[in-house]
Amino acid sequence: MIGVFDVSSTTVVVLGERGLRSFVVALFILGATIPFAYAILRLNQVTKWTALDAVLRFPSVNGATEALQFTLFEALASALLTIVIGLPVAWCLSRYRWRRVRIVRAFLAVPFVTPAIVAAMGFLSLIRDGGLLSKIGIDLRLETGIVGTFAELSGWNHPGHFFALILAHAWFNLSLMIRFIEPTLSTLDPAWEEQLSVLPSGKSKMKRLRTLWVPILGPAVLCAGALSFLFSFTSFALVKWLTPKNNTLESLMAEAGSSAGIAGYRVDSSELIYSVALIQFFILLLTLAITGSLQKRYTRRLSLLSEQGVREHHGPPTYKAKFVVGLGLVFTALPFLSTLTSSFQIRAVSERGVQTEWTLEGWKKAWTGDLSTMGVNEAMLNSVIYAFATLLIALPLGWILASTIHKLDKRGWKKSSRCLDLFCMLPLAISALMVGLGVLLGGLRWYPQMFNWFFLPVYPHVLLTVPFVVRVMLPAYATLDPRYTEQCQLLNMSPVRTWYHGTLMFLRGPAVVAGSLTLAFSLGEFGASWLLVRSGSWDTLSIVIDQLMGRPMFDPSIYPTAMAASTMLMLLTFGLFFLAERFRESSDRSGF
Amino acid sequence: MKSILSVLCMLLCASLSGCLTAEQLADIENENACESTVQVRDSDGTLKILTYDIFQGYSNELIEQFINQTGIQVEIIRTDDAGGILDQMMLTQMAPQADLMLGLDNTYLPTALKNCLLVEHNITPENLTQSSRDFYDGDLALPFDEGDVCLNYDEDALQTSNMSVPTSLWNLTEPEWNGKLAFPSPITSSPGRAFLVATYDYFTEETNSERGNMSAWWQAIADNGAIFTSGWTESYTTYYTGGYGEYTEGYIGGAYMTVSYCHSPGVEAYFAENYTHSTSLMLPKSSFHQVEYTGVIHGAAEIDAARQFIEYLTSPEVNVNMPEYNSMYSVIEGSDLPETNGYRYHSDTINTATSITDDIIEQNMEQWLLDWQDATQ
Repeated sequence: MIGVFDVSSTTVVVLGERGLRSFVVALFILGATIPFAYAILRLNQVTKWTALDAVLRFPSVNGATEALQFTLFEALASALLTIVIGLPVAWCLSRYRWRRVRIVRAFLAVPFVTPAIVAAMGFLSLIRDGGLLSKIGIDLRLETGIVGTFAELSGWNHPGHFFALILAHAWFNLSLMIRFIEPTLSTLDPAWEEQLSVLPSGKSKMKRLRTLWVPILGPAVLCAGALSFLFSFTSFALVKWLTPKNNTLESLMAEAGSSAGIAGYRVDSSELIYSVALIQFFILLLTLAITGSLQKRYTRRLSLLSEQGVREHHGPPTYKAKFVVGLGLVFTALPFLSTLTSSFQIRAVSERGVQTEWTLEGWKKAWTGDLSTMGVNEAMLNSVIYAFATLLIALPLGWILASTIHKLDKRGWKKSSRCLDLFCMLPLAISALMVGLGVLLGGLRWYPQMFNWFFLPVYPHVLLTVPFVVRVMLPAYATLDPRYTEQCQLLNMSPVRTWYHGTLMFLRGPAVVAGSLTLAFSLGEFGASWLLVRSGSWDTLSIVIDQLMGRPMFDPSIYPTAMAASTMLMLLTFGLFFLAERFRESSDRSGF
Repeated sequence: MKSILSVLCMLLCASLSGCLTAEQLADIENENACESTVQVRDSDGTLKILTYDIFQGYSNELIEQFINQTGIQVEIIRTDDAGGILDQMMLTQMAPQADLMLGLDNTYLPTALKNCLLVEHNITPENLTQSSRDFYDGDLALPFDEGDVCLNYDEDALQTSNMSVPTSLWNLTEPEWNGKLAFPSPITSSPGRAFLVATYDYFTEETNSERGNMSAWWQAIADNGAIFTSGWTESYTTYYTGGYGEYTEGYIGGAYMTVSYCHSPGVEAYFAENYTHSTSLMLPKSSFHQVEYTGVIHGAAEIDAARQFIEYLTSPEVNVNMPEYNSMYSVIEGSDLPETNGYRYHSDTINTATSITDDIIEQNMEQWLLDWQDATQ
């Protein structure tokens, strides 16, 4: 607010703005801290352990060490596989003049916003007996053929389902590679590569890799890898369904979640949650810090040329590039198609064997529901209401937080800016389940009537989506030219009009991206809802799918019903995501 | 700003009117909930039922029939299993959010009774089977279905592998069963918990014999490569080779035996045109008669509506449908499984009476679970 002529009104505006910012920051800090702090306090009371006890006793907690080993192993393997699959696709997509590149990019980004439970269903149907993978000899389900031979030679018990899990994680995180690699590669001056190839240090491919590509792409690849590690580390729905014999720290906590925090009852559950939550928190905090520092190095890279110019220079894609990107698109589409097909198929078992018949029964049952499971129509309405309520709160909240971080940074308050930035990422380190558990324990103790409140799940949804809004809006603020705002003020425009013309007009694209991410994540949110909706009767689509899959399937119609519900959630997510894409500006490269 | 703060303060003060009192909080801390006054939620005319995924076949029409008959609105609050119902009731014991509990079995009921989570239902239904009333016949919970939890095995797999049908649970610790058993965890699964009780029953008589006791058996089973899963679904669907799991996605197989109900082979046949290669292991004392109960939650707002629902549920015309609707036996005297598709033919019945009582479970369950954890870790 510089250069406003009416001093008294300026003071009011500045005070109002400061007040609003302080209020929003305080609200977020309290909202994000209280559930976790309360959960820890409660667990502390029930277990009579200090936080240090909980950390030190981690190895003695039933199943915790195995879960930690498995979590680290699968998260590292998933991050590596994401790089192996994603790097060639991102490379090919960045270097050529593709037709409809925005659509291709948006399609490859869809898995990232796909609800985890839908991804799990997609991969389950993909690896089934008679599914595509088993037809081409990769039997991840019964582990015959190559996978069986590998299992025998390595002595590894059930590697097939582990491969399915890391494949699903790589599928999920594929767009992270594109999101980090493409902006660097598609704007890199081709002259660098050409000039280097005539120098002694760039004669061979290996030398060029060492002197050019590793320094340029290294931070971006590591950044995407670190984020893949983070998302795979907190994986819950995919682990629950694809590797039922193994637990991640998150799924281990989920099992014990409903009985934790009750004095004198199942104290072992509280001990488990207390210990595992703290260890997970420290690991995730460390990962976030590493990601943050890598992101800084990555954003320091300069864009040298316009994307269009670079693409023109490289010309139309080669056959090899078309093949690689085509493979990426098929890889992205397969689980979706597989889920859709499975929703129309039902098994018919008799002494003669098993046959698959085509049916609409799954869709009919999914729509109407029964006493065990809510109908999809009702669950979908709940999901949509929660998603839009989350959007209404998380978008402005994240937006104001991002602008506050930016403002603090610009005014030289670097430490405060960094602290607030890190704090905004905190809900990701706490994990969805702990956020849900904190709300559950705190709320039940202090205000049980809250559990009759339909909008309760919005609370954890907001906490879990704000970090994404901040991450998308923050870089956009960095590119904002303050001179536009100054011009508006010189023209004596009202504060609202100044904000509209000087800020909003330039941040529409990122805001749409942040909004669509918020909607998609809220629609697919599983961990926190999984704990919370059990206190009410407001199941979301994700929960309905999980409930269906958890039911005894003597009745063959249950599986297609679950697949039909998955398909509906998938279509809903796609619909909202592509709708948002329509409003995204072509120049916008701010996000996913 | 002042006005915003005022509104916030007002909202906060208004909302805090529903908070627990200091005495209630102290009672929770001191595990003294039975002595405390429960905070009853405001009545809104809607009957809230806390349950898990039972009644998979019951249609909305059936509920509508209840609504039409009584004019009472119904809302279902779903947990993932019977343990989830107890967890939820324990968590909200000072301020319950539901009126009726539906689905606690006799391994969980003693804990609910001990913690004063239920109140009298004042219903005296006629024609209930003796087996459903043997375990608990008080006024706080009423049975609505029953069935025996026991080991199921894959007949075809045993035949193909030239393995003999076990004549003792100790046979399962022999090398030929290495890696071929799947058990749901008693900590997180109610059939798993029921089978843990069965093993207590089975090995109690052996305590002084050379063959050891329950913990030793579980340890030997774990050493023999048994697969332990969190729920019945994973054991039966993912690993058991004799069930419907082999036709579903996510199946791994490898386990020729698992824990389920003695009538599960009948349910398999019912849905597969009288075909199944699964059967039950009929060893004396190696099964547990599971009874599922319904009851009015202490602190319920809609007590009359809850009682009407219990009457409706235990009425012969509704309850006899349990085998088709919930894959369990009805508790109505004289009813049986239907003969359709070999449902009754493939269902085995256990005749050995159990010596387990609610007192034994209430006093020992926590220790059994700890012993089980130690033995299988």
